[in-house]
Amino acid sequence: MRNKLRPYLTAFRVRALLETQYRGAALGGLITQAFFGLVYAYLYTAFFNGSDPAAQKATVTYVWLQQMFFRALFMSDGEMNNQIMTGSLAYVLCRPVDQHLYWISRNLAAQFVGVAMRAAPMLLLQLVVPQEVRMALPASPLAFAQFALSLLLGVFCVSQIHAIGLAFTMKTLDHRGLSSMLSLLLMTFSGNVVPLTLFPEGLQRLIRYQPFAQVLDAPIRMYQSGQPMDEWLLNLAVQLCWIAALWALGRWLWARQLRHVTIQGG
Amino acid sequence: MRFLEAEGLSKTYIRRCKPKDGGISRLWKRDTQVITALQDASFSINEGELVGMIGPNGAGKSTTVKLLTGILTPTGGTCHVDGRVPWLERREHVRHLGAVFGQRTQLWWDVPIHDSFLLLRDVYSVDKAAWQRRLDELVDALDLQEFLHTPLRQLSLGQRMRAELCGSLLHAPKLLFLDEPTIGLDAVSKLKLRAFLKEENKQRGTTILLTTHDMEDMLALCQRVMVLGRGKLLYDGQLEALLRRYDTVHTLRCTFEGEADLSGLPQAIRHERDGGAHALTFAPGEIPTSEVLAHVLACGPLREMTLKEQNIDHLIARMYEEMQL
Repeated sequence: MRNKLRPYLTAFRVRALLETQYRGAALGGLITQAFFGLVYAYLYTAFFNGSDPAAQKATVTYVWLQQMFFRALFMSDGEMNNQIMTGSLAYVLCRPVDQHLYWISRNLAAQFVGVAMRAAPMLLLQLVVPQEVRMALPASPLAFAQFALSLLLGVFCVSQIHAIGLAFTMKTLDHRGLSSMLSLLLMTFSGNVVPLTLFPEGLQRLIRYQPFAQVLDAPIRMYQSGQPMDEWLLNLAVQLCWIAALWALGRWLWARQLRHVTIQGG
Repeated sequence: MRFLEAEGLSKTYIRRCKPKDGGISRLWKRDTQVITALQDASFSINEGELVGMIGPNGAGKSTTVKLLTGILTPTGGTCHVDGRVPWLERREHVRHLGAVFGQRTQLWWDVPIHDSFLLLRDVYSVDKAAWQRRLDELVDALDLQEFLHTPLRQLSLGQRMRAELCGSLLHAPKLLFLDEPTIGLDAVSKLKLRAFLKEENKQRGTTILLTTHDMEDMLALCQRVMVLGRGKLLYDGQLEALLRRYDTVHTLRCTFEGEADLSGLPQAIRHERDGGAHALTFAPGEIPTSEVLAHVLACGPLREMTLKEQNIDHLIARMYEEMQL
């Protein structure tokens, strides 16, 4: 078993090491996200104007968490896109591995390290921003645990969506159109453009069961108020179902596409 | 059954392109063209052979390599490598196979090449001790010591090529495909690479199939050659026999002490002035070299003379021409 997993574990490890090389990019992301965090926090503070202190604090916290874990939503792993565009995919296909799993393990490494490298300094930033725009602590230790697990699963979910996107890229040979479409969907329905709590009631209920909402919105809700066990289990089940479904779809598409793949550029 | 056997291997692509004329309709109309990259190729390769594949651009060399690695699925025909059909049992097939695609890279751009090698070790599930031994061997043979811990992006093309080759050989594959491995290399790097490949083939018995445009590669490495053109296998046999078939013109350059009158030479020898020297071109099949020499010596006191066989690039160009490629 351990031997079977060895390629994937090493792929994870090496990709994680590689990601730590991109400290400049992380710093850039950090500055952007800190800036947007502050702007949004002040914006919503002005919007509430003290009328509802609880809702105000909740929204500010929401905004900060969202900026902190922005990278989790970001399908930024250009490695495979490049390989498809340039034809280096030929090499990848020469590896005696399960291609889908091999990619997922590399992508997860990139996502986790990328997220950690941005989230940790953002957390430190909370110590220095003014009290009125500072985020609140988690509702309880349990709430925090729920949040952490849910976020972890959210990152898994994004990886699956990204893999499905790549399966189409193998056909279209260029990722740009599809990438921007998927990004738009993800950003909007995960609450990154406008917090999902501000969507109309009916639409909210629909959106909340989409895979996108499971990535960031669901964890943040848990962080803020904790969830009763039954509701939390339901949420967990929804997340796991989405991951399983997207995983299966991704594997099916990959198996199909890899048989008819085109290697660009001779 | 031979180690590698291909029968009637064919691959066609559909290429979409814009119609040549038509106004605004070019926006939505498109023509499709069926491109035959490889047509009905049958050949076999024994274990331990070193075979070269040549042919003009677009002849189907890379397609053949990709079919044999199992990356592409053929549209017709079949092939067995070591008892396996590459595209059906790709995972097991590629475990025993190394490949270098000359214009692409398999190592990670931003990490030291040693880290990429580590990943390859685990991807191919190579035993640690065996891997270390093999790595030492390859580092030594390919001169990688200096930059083993340097990120790939900082290496020169020649260094990168050697690193790529090392990466492809770490798991000690039985079969090695090289798609233009010497592309863009300088003379010293080329010589080193050739020496290494020869050694690898001789010492370990690795079967090597190599495509190239560099005829010197061919001369140095291969006894057997396959010529592809327009997707067809046109020749499969000894390189020497092929060269003999087309190598019909020799050039004799000579300079004389003082002026010499060469107007009396027979018709079969073409005579050109080249500065102070005379260039005499003849076909040895038509007139033997000894006879030519006798004629030249009769013309006057000879100061210097060189006999040159036809440049192999010219020869191949002529071959392509005659085969109408």
